[in-house]
Amino acid sequence: MSTEQEITRFRETYAALRAEVGKVIVGLDAVVESTLGAVLAGGHVLLEGVPGLGKTLLVRTLGEVLDLSFSRIQFTPDLMPADILGTNLVMEAADGRRVFEFQKGPVFAHLILADEINRATPKTQSALLEAMQEHSVTAGGEIRRLEEPFFVLATQNPIDQEGTYPLPEAQLDRFFFKLLVGYPSAEELTEVLNRTTETAVARLGRVVTREALMAMQQLVRQVPVASHVKDYAVRLVLATHPGTGAAVPMARQFLRYGSSPRGAQALILGGKVRALTQGRMNVSLEDIRTVALPALRHRLILNVEAEAEGITHDQIVEHVLREVPEVPAAVAV
Amino acid sequence: MSEWEQIQRAVAGVGRRRRWQRAWGGMWKGLWVGVCLWVGLVAVYKVYPVSIQVLPLGGLLVVLGALAGGVLGGWRGTPPIETARWLDQERRLQERVSTALELGGQAPGEWSALVVADAARHMGRLDFRRMLPLRVPVLSRWVLLALVLGVGLGFVPEYRTRDWVQRQRDQESVQEAGKNLADVSRRLLEKRAPALEPTRQAVRAVGQLGEELTRNPLSRSEALREVARLTEKVQAQNREMARNPALRSMDRAARSADGNRSGTAEALQRQIESLQKSLGRADVPPDALEKLRRELEQARQMASNLSNPDSRAAEAARDNLAKALSSLARESQDLGAALSGLEEAIAALEAGQIQQVLQDLEAAAKDLDKLRDMAQALQQLQQEAARMGKDLGEQLQNGQAEAAIATLQKMVNQLKAGAMSEEALRAMREEVSKAIRPAGPYGKVPEHLKDAVSRMQDGQTAEAAQALADAAKELEDLLQQLADAESLQGALGALKRAQACIGNGKAWSLCQGTGFKPGGKPGRGVGTWAEEEGWIETPPQTGLWDNSGVERPDMDPRGVTDRGEGEVPEGMSPSSVKGQFQPGSQMPSITLRGVSLKGQSTVSVREAVQAAQSQAESALSQDQVPRAYQNSVKGYFDDLERDP
Repeated sequence: MSTEQEITRFRETYAALRAEVGKVIVGLDAVVESTLGAVLAGGHVLLEGVPGLGKTLLVRTLGEVLDLSFSRIQFTPDLMPADILGTNLVMEAADGRRVFEFQKGPVFAHLILADEINRATPKTQSALLEAMQEHSVTAGGEIRRLEEPFFVLATQNPIDQEGTYPLPEAQLDRFFFKLLVGYPSAEELTEVLNRTTETAVARLGRVVTREALMAMQQLVRQVPVASHVKDYAVRLVLATHPGTGAAVPMARQFLRYGSSPRGAQALILGGKVRALTQGRMNVSLEDIRTVALPALRHRLILNVEAEAEGITHDQIVEHVLREVPEVPAAVAV
Repeated sequence: MSEWEQIQRAVAGVGRRRRWQRAWGGMWKGLWVGVCLWVGLVAVYKVYPVSIQVLPLGGLLVVLGALAGGVLGGWRGTPPIETARWLDQERRLQERVSTALELGGQAPGEWSALVVADAARHMGRLDFRRMLPLRVPVLSRWVLLALVLGVGLGFVPEYRTRDWVQRQRDQESVQEAGKNLADVSRRLLEKRAPALEPTRQAVRAVGQLGEELTRNPLSRSEALREVARLTEKVQAQNREMARNPALRSMDRAARSADGNRSGTAEALQRQIESLQKSLGRADVPPDALEKLRRELEQARQMASNLSNPDSRAAEAARDNLAKALSSLARESQDLGAALSGLEEAIAALEAGQIQQVLQDLEAAAKDLDKLRDMAQALQQLQQEAARMGKDLGEQLQNGQAEAAIATLQKMVNQLKAGAMSEEALRAMREEVSKAIRPAGPYGKVPEHLKDAVSRMQDGQTAEAAQALADAAKELEDLLQQLADAESLQGALGALKRAQACIGNGKAWSLCQGTGFKPGGKPGRGVGTWAEEEGWIETPPQTGLWDNSGVERPDMDPRGVTDRGEGEVPEGMSPSSVKGQFQPGSQMPSITLRGVSLKGQSTVSVREAVQAAQSQAESALSQDQVPRAYQNSVKGYFDDLERDP
């Protein structure tokens, strides 16, 4: 199959996925597209929103339309790491000997729904660190690879909710995107009511196989990026580093730490997915700009002053987008 | 053309067009800056006394600003990749062109082909001129406004302080005086380089001072000091030369010449003889010829009145005319003037042909006019010959150095020829010995002449010739000195004129001279009839200068001119305060308009007082002082005479 055909197929598959998800999820277009984008880029997603906005439903729907193994972990304060990763249990063998046998946890699946992840203690939250980054689990001194593709789609309630624990910075940084799920509009809410309070039940089909998804992920990585687009992404990330000369004023004033290199990776990969979904063969500056908020917002660590003044991550990212020029001044007429 | 080449060409075209556009925009920006600077300079010029050169400089800045802006704007070309990025942004191509350009330059691949094709498809056909038009920018309105403002400022009068204006005028007059001094010096040197080194240096110093004043105009007082210093120097040199009595007599002779000298003594004699031959007599007084002319005119009048020959009165008139004509014929014969027309007129009168008489008298009058002119010319030549002197002694006596040189040269030639008779040699010796006394003031000339006389007495003609040649050489040297003195005088005149110009702050042309006015000397008018002043001595006042007998009815006083004794108006009675010079007390002073020359005075108080008294007397005698104050002024200056 030629590259052009692969691109065409990518777009068709994406459109099918979008359509299937759309059967269940009403509105939340940006959230859905970004979630799909992260999946196609091979990244994990953190969905944040108050209870009842369809975060879990979205992930469950994805689990249904993707022909992948799916696990749901409900994070609670008493959840332990072993409950996620698995544990060695003493088992009786056929010959009557008792041996330790590793009992795989729910993390051993392609698609993990980490529901209300911030309701577990940081210790338990951190159990996912290795799995998310290395796609492997170390237990009992043995490293066990997770089968590709591997995604964690986590949901969390806002930090100010009762019974929540903030995710550690290292954990947050491992999420490709952090998406904020907002309230639906009146039309969307009406449609939600129509779909959920009547007898009709949406039937979802599996649109993408595991192999097809991995091929799509490969295709995404082949999309070319012009040097100045990469440069723009780099400048955006550098502008969030408060201790450097490239930092924008708000970053200098309100940030303790800026984005890690993973932020730049997320910008470029997210841009590539968006370019393909838009029918382009190259990443544009607009792609970078569009994915900047979900890719960077959770990677910025605010200082006390920002918290005191109620400055949000999104305000800072928007400020960065305003301050950093797309084209260096020398190029403009 | 491949899609890749198509993109490259489009990007290059856009790059060129953007460069032009930048140059165009830069030109307008430069023009704006230049115009602003120009307006600023005009404003500065209107307020501060800066040189007027700032205005053309400002104009130049406008042009240079536009040029520099254009050059700077279009100087730097844009790399294709930057142009591609700009194109992406301008045409909303989502970085297609820049990515394609970047990938196209790398190794060919499926993705790069796809990207290039995608970019080419989306770029389409670009119309550079429409996309990047060279429009007149909004800035042009501001440029126009600033230009109008600048032109408007041009009509605003400049603000200058009175002191500055005065300084400027002084500077201009100093500069002009300097330029003219340099010109005079150059002309003097071009006309004739002075033979004496000090004179040459003095003339050159005048030129150098002129150039210095032109290049670096000093303040009025400084310039006057410089000019005065040089004038002193040149004057001292001039006085030094004036001590030579030979030069004085030579100068006097040169001044008495009318400028139409008829050449050497020999040429003069030849002309005199030729005229005498034409006239038939050695001397015909022009006055007698003039009288004859008047009588002839009367006779002609009488002849013209003989219109009616039949009347008895006409008969008597004819007789009178016949007598008059006979008398005229006799007088003309006495004067040696043969007037054939007169004889013919007498014959025609006898024949009763009045018209013929008139014609003959006309012809006779013309002949008489010619004779009169010739007689006048002869008289002038004779006067000139008399001034020049008929022999060596007279020539030296009259200061005719050139004539004397010619005479000496003639003698030398005769002596060298060696064919002189004893009598001729004696005559020459006598002439030379007679010239020894008049040659006294001429340096070594009398010694040479004495030597020549003694040699001639001894019959040593060759040595005598050499002595005479030496005398001629000495005279030539003196002539050179005279010419040098004239150059020096020219330089001195220029310096004095420069002093007057700078001192009065006037233009060079307005410092000509004092003109002919009461108490003044004859100056320059239409036609120079005298030098302003002699270089060696003041020309002697002769009767020719006395114009007291000239009647000028148009200048006669009208009405009652005698107003009696002057009366002082009420409240303005003059009071004379006697000056008192006491040690330690304040010295009464008056402020005079003039130039302040600092330094040690070289004039004694007595001389200064005498000069002031002389000027006061002159002013009083010329009625320059109001009558009411004349007595007071006279009293004041008389007191001064007694005070020292």
